[in-house]
Amino acid sequence: MALAKAALLIAVLLVWQLAPLPDYVLSPSAIAGHFVQALGSAELYEHVWASLGRSLPGFVLGSFLGATLGLAAGTARWFDRMLSPAVFLTYPVPKIVMLPIFMIWFGIGDLSKVLIIALACFYPVFINAYYGVRQTRTILVWSALNMGATPAQVFRRVVLPSALPMIMASLRVSLALSFIVMFAAEMINARSGLGQLIRIAENSLRFDLMYVSLVTIAILGYSGDRLVRFAHARLLAWQQPAA
Amino acid sequence: MNRILPFAFIGIVLVIWEAAARSGLWSKLLFPSLVSVFHEVVLFFTRAASLMEAWTSLQRALGGFALAAVAGIALGMLMGRSKLVAGLLDPLFSGTYSVPKLALFPIFIFVFGIGSLSKVALVFLECLYPIVIMTYAGARDVNRVLLWSAHNMGASRATILRRVVIPASAPFIFAGFRVAVPVAMIVVVITEMVASADGLGYQVIYAMSSLRTDRMLAVVVVIAALGYALDKAVVLARDRLIYWEKLDTYYV
Repeated sequence: MALAKAALLIAVLLVWQLAPLPDYVLSPSAIAGHFVQALGSAELYEHVWASLGRSLPGFVLGSFLGATLGLAAGTARWFDRMLSPAVFLTYPVPKIVMLPIFMIWFGIGDLSKVLIIALACFYPVFINAYYGVRQTRTILVWSALNMGATPAQVFRRVVLPSALPMIMASLRVSLALSFIVMFAAEMINARSGLGQLIRIAENSLRFDLMYVSLVTIAILGYSGDRLVRFAHARLLAWQQPAA
Repeated sequence: MNRILPFAFIGIVLVIWEAAARSGLWSKLLFPSLVSVFHEVVLFFTRAASLMEAWTSLQRALGGFALAAVAGIALGMLMGRSKLVAGLLDPLFSGTYSVPKLALFPIFIFVFGIGSLSKVALVFLECLYPIVIMTYAGARDVNRVLLWSAHNMGASRATILRRVVIPASAPFIFAGFRVAVPVAMIVVVITEMVASADGLGYQVIYAMSSLRTDRMLAVVVVIAALGYALDKAVVLARDRLIYWEKLDTYYV
């Protein structure tokens, strides 16, 4: 099986390398060469730094608010009735359309981008935290109350642990979303970052830079996802994470 | 009390907005009055030209989604029923799942042109992942006893696929659809905002460039309504087709 996989991968790469390609599709060896070359220059790191400076604060802010408000909405009925309809009503709406409005309100700089990323990250974490709390087994809550636990203890020892796996699962989704929204926002309007790099490369027909930006965002997305999964496995060792 | 609470929060937000708009503290560019936004929404629906823009976006979203649904169900079924296909394709899908496919858009523009095709292709690619992954999960987890029974009663492989595997994985397929439909809308709007001369995403950018915040918000309302309606359509179709299993969610 492993042999078949390796053979398929090598075959695909060989066909890609040897096929007659138009200018805008580079061969794997050319992409690798340009990427290694870009790794040696400071310019790439500046773009990566600018992009991460937008996506990570947005991810942290959005996920934190989503988890907090989701836990609150799952626990307190009046809060649920007040907030949840608004959240579920706006859930299927593409959040990126708010970017122009955010740019008018919060300026054209990084703040509007961080906030739009936070908005996009908020939804999946809120919904998973909410359902995580609601999925808590009633019998466990009853037993805890019966044994004299205070509501605060029930929340900390029973509700929170049973909601955590769902919240961790949603962090994977929201981290991927933060990269997508960051890239989109930078493609639409930015003075630095990977999305802007790919736009500049596109406009000046620098295909090598286009692929460098593409490979970089792919590596960032992949390693970020691995990191969240690693954290999930370490923090929630008692639960088998779904593949 | 319980009846009004759901509307209270939304109502308060709208009232604060209107108060901010009327207070005169901020320019109309920042907080246009809700009345003028509503006026623009009505204008949008009465103008044939703007309805055509919505139709363009809808075509792109649904076109890419439909292609992804056909290819995704086929691939997912193959992966679920064949160890070989799963072994070959699963690493590919799970390895590139977390990579933002949006980064491919500039290359797609060169390959497929700046018109609808590059956008449909990107929608297809982004929608393919959730549909394949969910279909795969569904087809893999079919109750083994059902498969054995069908086999024992002399059903052919085609019959088993049609009468056992597909109905059993239908709830999973629709779960994938529900993830994919908002993704299709997001990708269409983003690609139209980045590089387009038509569609709703372009209308948002165009209204903003002409400093018509009220018109921009009207387009945002239309996009929101479209996203909401598509999601409801998927849920409706799901409840009609999979009548034996109710969607056990609270609001969604």
